[in-house]
Amino acid sequence: MFEIDTLCYHSKLREKNAEIKFAFTVLTLFICVWNRSIVIAAIVFATTGFLTVCVGGIPAARYIRLLCIPFFFLLLSTLTVVINFSKTPLSGYAICLGTFYITAGKDTILFAVQIFCTAFGSVSCLYFLSLSTPMTDLIAVLERLYCPSLFIELMLLIYRFLFVLAELASSISTAQKARLGNRNFRTSFSSFGALLSVLFIRAIQKSGRLYDAMESRCYDGTIRVLHQQYPVKRKELFLCIGYELLLLYFSWKGLP
Amino acid sequence: MNKTQKKLVTLSTILAIGFGIYPAANAMHIMEGYLPVTYCIAWGILCIPFLIAGFFSLKKTIQEHRKTLILLAMAGAYAFVLSALKIPSVTGSSSHMTGTGLGAILFGPCATGILGLIVLLFQAVLLAHGGLTTLGANTFSMAIAGPLLTFGIYKLCQKLKLNRMVTIFLAASLGDLFTYCITSFQLALAYPSEVGGFSASLVKFMGIFAATQVPLAIIEGLLTVVVIMSLESYAKSELSALGYFKGGAANVK
Repeated sequence: MFEIDTLCYHSKLREKNAEIKFAFTVLTLFICVWNRSIVIAAIVFATTGFLTVCVGGIPAARYIRLLCIPFFFLLLSTLTVVINFSKTPLSGYAICLGTFYITAGKDTILFAVQIFCTAFGSVSCLYFLSLSTPMTDLIAVLERLYCPSLFIELMLLIYRFLFVLAELASSISTAQKARLGNRNFRTSFSSFGALLSVLFIRAIQKSGRLYDAMESRCYDGTIRVLHQQYPVKRKELFLCIGYELLLLYFSWKGLP
Repeated sequence: MNKTQKKLVTLSTILAIGFGIYPAANAMHIMEGYLPVTYCIAWGILCIPFLIAGFFSLKKTIQEHRKTLILLAMAGAYAFVLSALKIPSVTGSSSHMTGTGLGAILFGPCATGILGLIVLLFQAVLLAHGGLTTLGANTFSMAIAGPLLTFGIYKLCQKLKLNRMVTIFLAASLGDLFTYCITSFQLALAYPSEVGGFSASLVKFMGIFAATQVPLAIIEGLLTVVVIMSLESYAKSELSALGYFKGGAANVK
């Protein structure tokens, strides 16, 4: 169910320092989104793609399939930006429809291309983080950034319960399929409703049992876990700083 | 193959790829990198008062009843799994529930805000729905505005003593529609149209997303009715466990 999570545990970049990966992603994302430049987006797309596929060892085919996930949203929204209804044709293109035109100016088309590229660059940047850093490491980074402890504990627990509930949901839906529960729209509708409610009941029951188990092992309101530390290598640090400075230099030059 | 046949094959391949991509659509999360930085920050700041209020309310509940932390975490995991499951649909394309309606009715708006933030963060990292920069905007539309409206309508209909099924359906589906309106609003505000400015852009965004979102809102409303009705008949004791949350399912009677 969670392809990204499975892939990320296989990444060769997994045992690098999580903080530096996080800082790298956030800075690069920020510069990429701030500039909306096609050149910077292309550079970010190339480097993060290279890092994920070539250095991290994520299969290229799966990486490309993952990149397609937000494609539908991107397509619809970018089309919306480029399509205008007007009585007078604009400079970019114009399709005549009786009394009015579907049209857009040249600037708008350039702008739409910029948004498109920025979005792909930043998605690839996000994938660099999520395909190299397991959730538990990310939570540890947030803890170092002084995120409130209630938040951290909730995240830790939710991450653990995800897999329990997902497995339960998939076995229930297998059982429903085996009994022709998805024969037509009507049955699949009621099966899905049943799946959701049973899942909810089970979740509440499990949480009760889990609390009893924790209580009997002296749970006092805080969950303490040991984190594995991966020290930062000086080479990685310098490479990251150099890369960000380069991006900043390009954005200062104001490329299209 | 002659030329026409080749063209046909190519065309059908393109169509097939198009439909192949379509099922991966979870249209209403604004994707990573799509909003300008200023808007990302502004929407994030707008979320903060709601989140802080929710945070303190939860903290108080947890200090009083320690068990609620585990319960809350299960609820969060449930909301995430719910949004990752494919819902049945007529056209064969697969789409996902937002779960805002169900969450708001079961756990109340305070808990839904905080849980929504965490679930959206997980969705961004684990499912690539939404993103880190657009987290603020998505949180506002899906974890704050939608649930608040759902909860408001739910309470209002209860006061008016409407039929329970109608109440739940209205609350869930209108909350869902409201989420989609807010997302369109966010996009239109960031990208006003060349001709006609903000209002024209809002109409365009709402029109384009209506095609997927209106049927989805109706399906989600119906599903929420099915789930809550069956919970009420089979899981009275489990529901009473939720009574701790302020405005939560204590009122599901």
